[in-house]
Amino acid sequence: MSDDPHDRDAHTHDHGGGHHPAPLSPVEMRARALEELLTAAGIVDPTFIDGVVNAYERDIGPMNGARVVARAWVDPAYRGRLLTDATKAIAELGFGGPEGEHMVVVENTPDVHNVVVCTLCSCYPWPVLGLPPNWYKSPAYRARVVREPRAVLAEMGLVLAESVEVRVWDSSAEIRYLVLPERPPGTETLAEEELAALVTRDAMIGTAHVAARHGPISPPPSGSTSPPRQQTP
Amino acid sequence: MSDRAPNQRTPELDTAVARMEGAAALPRKNGELIFEAPWQGRAFGMALAVVERLGVSWSEFQKRLIAAIAARPDAPYYQSWVAALETLVVDYRLASSADVDAASRRIAAED
Repeated sequence: MSDDPHDRDAHTHDHGGGHHPAPLSPVEMRARALEELLTAAGIVDPTFIDGVVNAYERDIGPMNGARVVARAWVDPAYRGRLLTDATKAIAELGFGGPEGEHMVVVENTPDVHNVVVCTLCSCYPWPVLGLPPNWYKSPAYRARVVREPRAVLAEMGLVLAESVEVRVWDSSAEIRYLVLPERPPGTETLAEEELAALVTRDAMIGTAHVAARHGPISPPPSGSTSPPRQQTP
Repeated sequence: MSDRAPNQRTPELDTAVARMEGAAALPRKNGELIFEAPWQGRAFGMALAVVERLGVSWSEFQKRLIAAIAARPDAPYYQSWVAALETLVVDYRLASSADVDAASRRIAAED
């Protein structure tokens, strides 16, 4: 590119009046000018811009995976299809595409806890989990969760009983794993959408349990009121 | 915008945007995007809309972003983003530099 797009800084503008508490910076003016021009030309739909930030913060993030999990919790037939052919079952809900073509779902039970890593790089099921957290790519997590998963999980706030078998799944370009977490007790009356809201990204990587929210809707049946992160199966 | 189809995101576009690495990687905290000011979010959405409307691949924007960052490594990320967006808009003749200059000056005068 021959001309430097940043040359605009050479503009001098005399504010003087001080009528605006925070004068627009040159880049803000440039961005606003672009938006006005592109909107007037019909290139950019302002409501699209409004929606896209929200979407990137929420929708294409872990919520897609959370919907898959919630469906599996309420629909045993769907759960069966999910565990048999995850790619196909996830596509039923409209999710898929690059990086999500070969999905395998592994189910947590009272006796088995699954956790996902990519030891080689940072393979991750983008279409269902969105952007990976920074720690997922860290050399420390990638190396240690294989050698000492219990210790790593405990450091991340998930203490597992000795009786629970921990299975570590190594993602690759060929296979991306998603953990189907256990449905928390006390959520029997919740609707699918409410259940989806409980499911976190970390629970679908396998570094956390899904906790029922504290509040009137979910008194634990045992009468225990232990905080969510301390619970052990 | 009466009869024009609204902008739409596709899974391919989302994946391409989310996957950018190196200098072009989106600023994020524990996986979540970070916008320090509303205009940064607007600029983010605009780039997606322009790429979608032009029907080009995300790399058309991404290579301009990488070039803008390389031209000014110390500039804030979304300043480079806006510079890259402007080159895309100008190169594809959606608007001229003169148009953007004029609109900026008018906005500055109104500010």
